[in-house]
Amino acid sequence: MSLSTIIFYLLATLTLVSGFLAVTTKHIFRAAIYLLFSLLFIAGIYFWMHYEFIAAVQIVVYVGGIVVLIIFSIFLTHQSGQNLPKQKLGRTIFSALAALCGFILILVQVYQHQFVGTIERSVEASISNIGSQMLGVSDNGYALPFEVVSMLLLAAMVGCIVIALRTPKEIKEGGL
Amino acid sequence: MFLKDYIKDVFGAVKSLLIGMRRTGYYFTHHKEIITQQYPDNRDTLVLPERFRGEVVMPHDEKNEHRCTGCTACELACPNGTIKVITKFDITPEGKKKKAIDKLVYHLELCTMCNLCIEACPSDAIKMAQNFEHSVFDRSQLTKVLNKPGSKIMDGVE
Amino acid sequence: MWSLSDITNSIQNALNRAFNPTFATLTEMVIVGICVIGLFAVLGLILVIMERKVSAYMQVRLGPNRVGPKGMLQSLADTLKLLLKEGLTPDGADKFLFNLAPVIAMIAAMLLLAPIAFAKNFQIWDINIGVLFISAVSSISVISILMAGWASNNKYSLLGAMRSGAQIVSYELSAGLSVLSVVILVGSLKLSDIVQSQENGWWIFKGHIPMIISFVIFLVAVTAETNRAPFDLAEAESELTAGFHTEYSGMKFALFFLAEYVNVFIVCGVGATLFLGGWMPLHIGNWHGFNHVMDFIPSSIWFFGKTFFLIFVIMWFRWTFPRLRIDQLLNLEWKYLLPISMFNILLVTLMAIMGWHF
Ligand code: SF4
Ligand code: SF4
Repeated sequence: MSLSTIIFYLLATLTLVSGFLAVTTKHIFRAAIYLLFSLLFIAGIYFWMHYEFIAAVQIVVYVGGIVVLIIFSIFLTHQSGQNLPKQKLGRTIFSALAALCGFILILVQVYQHQFVGTIERSVEASISNIGSQMLGVSDNGYALPFEVVSMLLLAAMVGCIVIALRTPKEIKEGGL
Repeated sequence: MFLKDYIKDVFGAVKSLLIGMRRTGYYFTHHKEIITQQYPDNRDTLVLPERFRGEVVMPHDEKNEHRCTGCTACELACPNGTIKVITKFDITPEGKKKKAIDKLVYHLELCTMCNLCIEACPSDAIKMAQNFEHSVFDRSQLTKVLNKPGSKIMDGVE
Repeated sequence: MWSLSDITNSIQNALNRAFNPTFATLTEMVIVGICVIGLFAVLGLILVIMERKVSAYMQVRLGPNRVGPKGMLQSLADTLKLLLKEGLTPDGADKFLFNLAPVIAMIAAMLLLAPIAFAKNFQIWDINIGVLFISAVSSISVISILMAGWASNNKYSLLGAMRSGAQIVSYELSAGLSVLSVVILVGSLKLSDIVQSQENGWWIFKGHIPMIISFVIFLVAVTAETNRAPFDLAEAESELTAGFHTEYSGMKFALFFLAEYVNVFIVCGVGATLFLGGWMPLHIGNWHGFNHVMDFIPSSIWFFGKTFFLIFVIMWFRWTFPRLRIDQLLNLEWKYLLPISMFNILLVTLMAIMGWHF
């Protein structure tokens, strides 16, 4: 086994273990932290695959964004420091089954897929490649979805501004 | 209009921040402005400013005379009862009784160096001294009598 | 001429001759790790004494002057004191997370050091997404602060952590946008490309006023991101005792302290690389004679000189400006820095398309 393989298995195990801990722990905050570790190790796997850009985006979006949001909502929740109540057995079984079904679905997909070997070098996932693909209007371009997503973001931003503008007159002092 | 105010705000803010930074930058480069006294090392050469308030004293001249009339204005002025004036009655050569001080007791441990007693004194009998090394081993040593033993009032002070 | 890249090359050659490639790589990793830890220790010592001296002179004081010549060994003595202190863990704390948080802060700081070019051809990992990597990894350090604040089971810590979370998340935007303006002009995220592109002049000179604006915004934003005064609401001694590290003591406190200073070093190093040319000596266009003279100064000295200059500026901020209130802080970001940097980025894009920069 080469060093590279060892690193892969290490990262994969760590991802799985922290994912498992995230659902079994009794503290909500710890669950968030384990989730964070699991996401970080996935980013590690991307690094291992030399998809640095995807890895960095994984960290920026999930670690810097989503998990921070989750942690903030935990902070703002009442009584979040206590242990979680024990779940009913039925619920536990149901969610375990749901997870198992998802897992089986993925396995089936993977095993049904024919992986064809190719002698071509893989496309280098450099930023300029990703950028030109993202905004390309040719066959393999993603310009349309990109623009649709940016419309969504624009709508969200306009919504935020409208909400933020409606300040009562009284607290309109202070400023810089 | 809004944009003009906005830009003016930004420039005003940057300008005032730069003014502040110029001040600290000036201090950073001008080391002779430093006011730190390296106290125990420079004890011999230490010069305290004239307005420094260390403790209340009563100056006496070479004939062991002070200017205190025993009017107790200082005792009344003191906000925390630091000064106690104990008076007695002297017999003047003409045979009249005259009020004078027996002791002017000063509790250093209570004094806040507020200077009110000195301002209240009508005959300038007390003043602030620069001595600040007050630590002693026993609190009773901080209770001082300001007039020296055997001293008497200066001539001409009423 | 003496250069750091020669040393690394000769070490690499020697190792590859002596061992097989895997083992050589491993050994190199260990060497790099030791060097990084050593650099951390030295940086901590230097930056702490520098901060204390700078603050003293700016406040018309003398600063530490007892240990060593002119007090220069003061931080060494402080480190010794911290090492010998007991590391307390409060009773109600979440022990595991409480002890993990400073380690995470340290690891994040170490990872951030990887893509920084200290000298010509002297870089731990010239990753092709350098700048993005830095902004990604720096978001991990927020987590360590949030973790510390939560795990301490103390309301001051929690408040400090929340403040610093809100602050870092919002200031990351304008820091990112000002970094982006350099990336637009260079056309690459790789730090070595960015340095190379400044061969005929630093971006702050080549990029006209928009670059100066983004440099200033970058400085303000990174000051906020590293939780330093005037943006030190997360620590705010007068309100929150010590913010998120109120409960920390001994070595764990020292790790947070060190991570803060290393972060300052890193953001200043990034700022120096992006706007002031990194290790690139001061070159002016086609003045070959002048450029040649400048080349005689080793590249590492250029890098560290610029970085320490920026660190000095950030310290200057700290000892001049009073702390902002939380609403002022958010106003500054969302009403001033963000709109300005968005507008600025449009200007820079226009400049890059029209080729108006030198
Ligand atoms: S200085 Fe103030 S406190 Fe002290 S004795 Fe005079 S009046 Fe009292
Ligand atoms: S010190 Fe001055 S104020 Fe006090 S009793 Fe003597 S004369 Fe009066």
